[in-house]
Amino acid sequence: MGRLAMIEIEFKDVTKSFQSGTIRTDVLKGLTFKVEKGEFASIMAPSGTGKTTLLNVLGCLMKASSGSYIFEDQDVATLNDDHLSEIRNKKIGFVFQTFNLLERTSALDNVLLPLVYADTYPADAKQRAIKLLESVGLGERIHYKPSELSGGQQQRVAIARALINDPSIILADEPTGNLDSESSREVMNIFKTLHGQGRTIVVVTHDLAIARSAGRIIFLKDGRVEKTEVLS
Amino acid sequence: MKTIRVAVVSINTILKHKMRALLIILAIVVGIATLTVIVALTQGMNKKIMNRIQNFGPDAIMVHSGGGKIRGPSTASEANITRKDISDIENINGVKLVTSFQVALDMPIKYGNKFTTSWVWGVEPNWKDAWRRDASRGEFITDSDNEQLSKVCVIGQTAAKELFEDANPIGENILIENVSFQIVGILERRGMSPIGTDFDNLILIPFTTASRRLMNQPLYISIARVIVRDPSRVEVVAKQIKEGLRENHHLVATEEDDFRLSTPGEVAEMVKSTAKTLKLFLWLVAVISPFVGGIVLMNIMLMAVSERKREIGLRRAVGAKKKHIIVQFLAESIMLTFIGGVIGVGAGIVIALLINLSGKPISITWQTFAIAFLFSTFIGLFFGIYPARKAAALDPATALSQK
Repeated sequence: MGRLAMIEIEFKDVTKSFQSGTIRTDVLKGLTFKVEKGEFASIMAPSGTGKTTLLNVLGCLMKASSGSYIFEDQDVATLNDDHLSEIRNKKIGFVFQTFNLLERTSALDNVLLPLVYADTYPADAKQRAIKLLESVGLGERIHYKPSELSGGQQQRVAIARALINDPSIILADEPTGNLDSESSREVMNIFKTLHGQGRTIVVVTHDLAIARSAGRIIFLKDGRVEKTEVLS
Repeated sequence: MKTIRVAVVSINTILKHKMRALLIILAIVVGIATLTVIVALTQGMNKKIMNRIQNFGPDAIMVHSGGGKIRGPSTASEANITRKDISDIENINGVKLVTSFQVALDMPIKYGNKFTTSWVWGVEPNWKDAWRRDASRGEFITDSDNEQLSKVCVIGQTAAKELFEDANPIGENILIENVSFQIVGILERRGMSPIGTDFDNLILIPFTTASRRLMNQPLYISIARVIVRDPSRVEVVAKQIKEGLRENHHLVATEEDDFRLSTPGEVAEMVKSTAKTLKLFLWLVAVISPFVGGIVLMNIMLMAVSERKREIGLRRAVGAKKKHIIVQFLAESIMLTFIGGVIGVGAGIVIALLINLSGKPISITWQTFAIAFLFSTFIGLFFGIYPARKAAALDPATALSQK
């Protein structure tokens, strides 16, 4: 138990295949790795190596074809659709390359979105959301709509949204892919700060410079783990 | 609580897509307004029918001279009911009273240079008890009027209006087929007869005067109206009358009746059957038009689902369960149809009132509202569930990757 409790997520020989008619495509071909609690890990995956699929499996948006995925001591394969929704709601904070904010909706309401589906709606939800927006430097823009914000600002709203439910893990998919270098640095600094506060962060990227912000890089090649590199 | 939060999402979505919401609401308004108008019209029709049946009287049997299947009152020229027939009917157990009258249809009536036509009935004083209809002003026909063959009359309000407009007709003399009659009273208003004729276009004169001076029928009686003590025994009494009259008229088993009986049940049947086809057609239109609205709703919602795949994917990613997505889209449909229903009922009532201005009877009751609201909510549910389920069935990962 003592050792397991330290592990946030664990992939054991995870595969994922897609069937289209008679053609079967194996995307993940037996992935094995762990991410510990409080770790900042990058998964370095060049385009076309199953990066999106890995993210979807990691984010409990789809299940693996075989192997096991243990999320905080729970075998994801045994969970039904509602349980997966609950895990996504309570345990995972997503940050996407394309931000995925609701259009025509204020930054504040975007941050509050996950709470719509929470079991209990905290009384201080609004204050909490404002605080999070302040912490990513958007305290002045809580009522701005996505179309009125720059890319970097939108991604910071998305990070605040990922944090509103106080998740166990922040899962970022190419979070700087659509940003200029200045904004990219800001976003990665926020991740570093969050890591400093003890959060588990997994960034999936194809950009080695970004991957190097983390404490450890897991290199993916052809659907398998190629090597792991510890940076600090 | 969570359901309420999801429903609030639906409200926000509606507010953010005003044009789409407006189109759906409009489609439902048209459907529900049509439904409301038709409900109001058919209920008005029912009320009118009930009034006519009420006008006939639930405890009355009409005995018409002459057989056959023809509807409407028998006139003096075909009269074949005798005084003995009447006294035999009076002696049947359960009969409260019998009044005899002579009938002439569409008699020419003149007053000064004004001209009209009206039914003219020769009546006895107990006519007013049998019809529960007295003179509203002036006097009714009396026994002495009958004894003296007086040339007096009680005028119905339609005929009075035709000849005198708003002036007081009492004491004036009118010509009925060139015989002068003095008006002694005005008859109470009654409305439509069961067969749809105006019961106020009627002039009453003494029975004897009608038989001997106007209609030349001193021997026989056109029609008798029988009132029974117990309305539930109407059909039993009617059967006895029929048997008695057949015996009196020496009819053998193979011969048909040479008289006609109408009872309240028969009148109700007759009146209802004439309205039946029209009602069926109206109801068909009433039900179809909200369905068309529902199909419009389903179309637009399906479009919305495919437009908002990414949003659905995101909601799923941040923790929405399938049922939350269903509730969100279904709530949107139901709210829109409910709003459409409310406006539709309003619009329908306005249209119904306008139709009423042109003289058609309408009736707006709580049922009108209940039917419209139930129907609009049902449409929202029925046509909203498919798009909602389709939205919920989207694979979250695929939906998120939509452009």
